[in-house]
Amino acid sequence: MNYTRQEMMAIATGREIRDGELAIFGVGLSMLAGYFAQACHAPRVRAMTEGGIYGSTPIGGLPWGIECNRISANATSFTNGLDALGFMVASGRCDVGIIGAAQVDRFGNVNTTGIWSHPDKKHLEPPRTRLTGSGGANDIACGAKRVVIMATHEKKRFAQRVDYISSPGYLEGGTARERYGFVGGGPSAIVTTLGILRPDPQSKEFLLDGWFAFSSPQEIREHTGWALRTAEHAAPIAEPSETELAALRKVDVTGMLRRG
Amino acid sequence: MTHKLITLEAAVQRYTRDGMQYASGAALPVGSDAVVFGRELLRQRRRQLHAIFHCNTQQLNLLAAAGAVSVAECGFTGLEGFGFANGLRRAVESGAMLLEDYSNLSLPLRLLGGAFDWPFVPVTSNIGSDLQHLSVQTPGEYPTQRKIPEVVDPFSGRIVGALSPLRPDLAAIHVTMADVEGNAIMLGTEWSRFELSRAAKQVVLLADHIVDGACIRQYPNLVRIPGLLVEAVVYWPFTAWPQASCGVHDSDDAHMKAMNEALATAEGTARYLDEFVHSWHSRDDYLDLIGRDLIEQLRHGPTSFLLDPYRQWILSDAEIDAFTAAGVGA
Repeated sequence: MNYTRQEMMAIATGREIRDGELAIFGVGLSMLAGYFAQACHAPRVRAMTEGGIYGSTPIGGLPWGIECNRISANATSFTNGLDALGFMVASGRCDVGIIGAAQVDRFGNVNTTGIWSHPDKKHLEPPRTRLTGSGGANDIACGAKRVVIMATHEKKRFAQRVDYISSPGYLEGGTARERYGFVGGGPSAIVTTLGILRPDPQSKEFLLDGWFAFSSPQEIREHTGWALRTAEHAAPIAEPSETELAALRKVDVTGMLRRG
Repeated sequence: MTHKLITLEAAVQRYTRDGMQYASGAALPVGSDAVVFGRELLRQRRRQLHAIFHCNTQQLNLLAAAGAVSVAECGFTGLEGFGFANGLRRAVESGAMLLEDYSNLSLPLRLLGGAFDWPFVPVTSNIGSDLQHLSVQTPGEYPTQRKIPEVVDPFSGRIVGALSPLRPDLAAIHVTMADVEGNAIMLGTEWSRFELSRAAKQVVLLADHIVDGACIRQYPNLVRIPGLLVEAVVYWPFTAWPQASCGVHDSDDAHMKAMNEALATAEGTARYLDEFVHSWHSRDDYLDLIGRDLIEQLRHGPTSFLLDPYRQWILSDAEIDAFTAAGVGA
């Protein structure tokens, strides 16, 4: 294998982004996946960060933050949070967002807030482990036309129910999300370190849609905390092409993904 | 000429008190913020702060680690690429600090509501999630309807959330440059400083550079915080250190990591306070503490060209100190 699992995950996420789309990325893996797409198959993607930094491409390595100087050095516009997350995302303009998850459940609800010893008592006691909170992810999950979730595929992270819903997926499934009238359509994929899950059109339960060359449906089921069902058309996912790998490595100049 | 320049020490003495609603956090966790104002709050032993930080920064991480914050309201509480904020994390997990979670859109919308003096602000995100259902200020109620109550859009019948407005007692806002009257220009993302400066009852600016008023008159479109909103201006280079100030300096990556590591324990925090909070007595001391060589290095980052158009108007330390010493400020 001439690529790492992290690289496969970034490439599979990047393939979800189409040319010309208005796209919002967070820091880290999601930014690498997004700028990979721009460098590879989506040169006209309009990328932005929730800080309201537009028209820029990171220089000298992956930025530490979405307002880091590495992404502020060649911007064409600096605005603000209300502009990026409000005028661009809550308005329904944004085509696609990529968000991360510490925990994700079978309806694509994301937890990035905390892990509780007794999740049903989270209104009574502090979390055992405090995480980062929502940031802009909740607003992206509600407002972007579609959302791609990235998560490391481990049983404890792929939970029957998340401890806390930081960013809504399809809530209790079926039509539950419709009650809130979100302008965004919800998560279209969960891209993991082992494969890709996509929602059933009716039940909105996430099903195994594809697995990477180094993985298998069995391995994925073993690392999922609910009884994961397999979509009828599920199939192996194409390995990275030479072109894709070259484009990704051009973006990942410091080799962050090659270490993983 | 009237001016608003005062010392950092005087600003904290005059405009802060225990238990106040204190807002800061100018950009996101790695960028602009009035970090040094937080250090001075600790030097003057301020306690029981109700912190409003759109995003956590090393300032809130430090204040939380030192036990100076009883409640915080935030949209994001990590340190982005630098990981979890250990000081804040410890304060939350131990129950010493209550943390009310919002999102990066709903927090500035609440500031906008405060700025307008609106009764509430409609929001189309946050609803349906635990940001709406869980409030540390109504423990025992789940799902609570008191944090972001649902209201019906009278035109369409659609359900939206009602956000409560914020009117912080004080905002300490880091800006790239200001003139002595408090007209300020920010390079990089303004994040929520525009609405924060209008929502807060009082505003103190911390500026990396003091510029001549001619600079402000050359670029009035870029002055997003006009002096008429500002009580006082503190001149303090590297205010945001160890975070970055776009156009002025890069983040001090080694200190970002070391600081966060120290704040993970009570012992480490005590050591950090000794070394980096209580140890200095002047602006010069503080710059020595960062290290003059490192300062030179951080000043030559990839965004330093952004400051070029303004450099001709930057006042020297001697000129600024002459103003401050004249004592007519504020």
